Amino acid sequence: MSFAEFLNNYMYYIGAFGLIFIGLFILLTKKNLVKVIIGLSIMDTGIYLFLIAIGYVHEGTAPIFSKPGLNAEGMVDPVPQALVLTAIVIGVAILALALTLAVKLYKHYGTLNLRKIKEQKW
Amino acid sequence: MRKLLGIILLAVIAAGIALSLEEIPFGISKTIIGDYFNKNGVEETGATNMVTSVVVSYRGFDTLGEITVLFTAAIGLGALLTGHKKREHSDKVEPSSLIVYTGCRFLFPVLMLVGTYIFIHGHLTPGGGFQGGAIVASGFLLMYLGCKGKRIKFKASTVIEVLGGLIFVGLGIAGLTMGEDFLFNFLPKGEAGELFSAGIIPIIYIGIGLKVGSELAGIIDNLIEEST
Amino acid sequence: MVNPVLLIVVPLGLAFLVPLFGLISKKTGKYFPILALLFNLLLTIKIFPQVLSEPIHVNIGGFTPPFCINLVAGPLGILLAFLIALVGLLVAIYALSYIKEKNEEKYHILYLLLLTGATGVVLTGDVFNLFVFFEILCISSYALVGYFGDKAGVESAIKYLIQGALGSGFILIGIGLLYGQFGTLNMADIASNIHSVEPISIFVPLVLMITGFGVEAAIFPLNAWLPDAHSSAPSSISAILSGIAIEVGLYAVVRIVFTVFGASSIMMFLLFLGVLTLLTGELSAFNQENIKRMLAYSSIGQIGLIVFALSIANMNGITGGLFQLISHTLGKALLFLAVGYMIVHTGSMNISSFEGMGKKMPYTSFFFTIGALSLVGLPPFIGFPSKFMIVKAAIFKQEILYTVLIILVLTATVVEAAYFFKVIQAIYFKGEAKKEKRNRAPFKVLIPLFIFAGLILIVGIYPKLITNILESSAAELISRTDYIKSLIP
Repeated sequence: MSFAEFLNNYMYYIGAFGLIFIGLFILLTKKNLVKVIIGLSIMDTGIYLFLIAIGYVHEGTAPIFSKPGLNAEGMVDPVPQALVLTAIVIGVAILALALTLAVKLYKHYGTLNLRKIKEQKW
Repeated sequence: MRKLLGIILLAVIAAGIALSLEEIPFGISKTIIGDYFNKNGVEETGATNMVTSVVVSYRGFDTLGEITVLFTAAIGLGALLTGHKKREHSDKVEPSSLIVYTGCRFLFPVLMLVGTYIFIHGHLTPGGGFQGGAIVASGFLLMYLGCKGKRIKFKASTVIEVLGGLIFVGLGIAGLTMGEDFLFNFLPKGEAGELFSAGIIPIIYIGIGLKVGSELAGIIDNLIEEST
Repeated sequence: MVNPVLLIVVPLGLAFLVPLFGLISKKTGKYFPILALLFNLLLTIKIFPQVLSEPIHVNIGGFTPPFCINLVAGPLGILLAFLIALVGLLVAIYALSYIKEKNEEKYHILYLLLLTGATGVVLTGDVFNLFVFFEILCISSYALVGYFGDKAGVESAIKYLIQGALGSGFILIGIGLLYGQFGTLNMADIASNIHSVEPISIFVPLVLMITGFGVEAAIFPLNAWLPDAHSSAPSSISAILSGIAIEVGLYAVVRIVFTVFGASSIMMFLLFLGVLTLLTGELSAFNQENIKRMLAYSSIGQIGLIVFALSIANMNGITGGLFQLISHTLGKALLFLAVGYMIVHTGSMNISSFEGMGKKMPYTSFFFTIGALSLVGLPPFIGFPSKFMIVKAAIFKQEILYTVLIILVLTATVVEAAYFFKVIQAIYFKGEAKKEKRNRAPFKVLIPLFIFAGLILIVGIYPKLITNILESSAAELISRTDYIKSLIP
């Protein structure tokens, strides 16, 4: 298929996985703890986008029956949206805990460089 | 060197995922349960917002787990940040100007109202307990940032938080004591589209909204206390 | 008939209530975990005879699966729930006197939530619900590892958190790929349709989910967090982490591989990973000076042994693996609890400072010795029938590969015996013989140690007490068609 068609079909997946891989790359290579936490957050955002993109139906609308008599066929899938709601809250909880630990780590070590925070030896 | 290894690892994972994504074409949803929920959701649960009926009624157990996760994070934060106040900092904070102070005090009840509206109408319009609770907490954040020196009362926020959680668990157990399953929708479903409809769903969402709002406000309180 | 959902809901409700009681008085918080876990223990004992014949299915919300979440209380689930309640109760009694911080009620809330998450993981029948309860387990353990707030604890906690959060991300991607292909989130539903797609497109979700759950289960390349986290945490939390959290992570891996995917081709890979984990764990434990780090590496080794046993994938192998799981939980919890008070006595975690401990804390050292000998696999203790069953299962297979691997397993057992005897020698046969009365373990603390040691001895002498329970649990794992048929007729 042509390039435009390919982009049209897979744009959301490419975008979502692009964010996931950027987040993973930051997580694996950066030295500063706050950057690593930001990378974790970017990866989580990519995952949420991927989950929502799975539920899309062509020309679909939001699954809310605001007027009586709306057709249930033309609505997108509500289940991935529910999954993402739960996953966002879990992501926020992990982020809050990570930032708290970063605050305490800075108080103890005076630096946020992960290569220097290595007091536990082999 | 590390970056090269990282890129190779990511390339391998990307190739694997691309292979697997061919089975999931974009725009055609292969869902079995989603279609069932869209078709029968309004009669079975009484809510017109399908996402709400999935979150609270069909997959309500996940929502119970989710508020537990948030509760765990809030308690964990409270356990780690013991709030040692450093005395020399308290005079370095400059008070905010009159416009900011008055503006924040004016916006605070507006934000409370918007947040409460969103979580009360969760079964009719997009939104719900978590979204409304987050807006309420952002109202508290505005007060912390704009008007220094005002703090939420610890006792009141703890009582509201515990009440919110107990509403959810209590409604679930009430379903059990009536001989049905846990989280059974036992209140009358009313007419779809009205405010007082959908059985226990708006009550659960009010509980969740109160819990999330006070919990996030507590987290903000802990973090700001740690830094001053 | 009692509803198994109460096993999760009652501890959850009590955990929500603790801050309210904490406003009145700070001292009431520590009794809540004991109440909740006692309730769980009695309920699992009551449900046990029923589930041995047929698993109980609970639908939440009053709808029918797969349109709702369901709990499957089978023999394996209730056995693990019983183990969690038992170990949790005994460690909670230990923690009554061990934890004396200022805000100790938060410790008890987090502890109760950890065990609730673990019970939820073993009882659920829905893939996303598994993820949510697994996250409750993980997040409470991140907060508890750093609970004391000291330098080592916070560093270990942040490293554990980042690796754990990475694993959770992978699990979510795997769940997304599964939902996109099959349209449903129920384990039995996915399991019945799993062979309708080509193997290559379910290979990626399988690997992602094994990696994600494997971070918590401490399988070979993913367990870099374990030695730091288990050695810097408070000792009661080390006991729970080594005894319950990694076993529950392993249960999640096993449930995904055996029941949902039915992947027999990946067993060979898991076999090698198990032996690799075993060898790296035991060999690294040999050089350690710090006692808790040594016990943490020993946990890695034992998990490798359990993975090896479970991947043999015949009836004996899985029964042996489950038996070893129980033996490791009881033994390792006993070891960490005993070591906790020894560290309080001497103030340091080095093995060389434990010299003469046999005279200074005679009861604690005695229980430590029982735990150590059980883990090595010596006769009257529970470690012996479990290891014997695993060796028998591998020899039954009658292939050269398994014989070679069993020789490696036995070598690792010899190494394990070597480092445990080093510690026992330091405790009993070195140092001066002074009897000191200060800082001995109080009597309240000796009770859980005594019960653990008693269980190790009793089940070791009469393994027939639990072998039929283990066999029905193993049968539940092997025959996935029975699992699917009981839900979707």
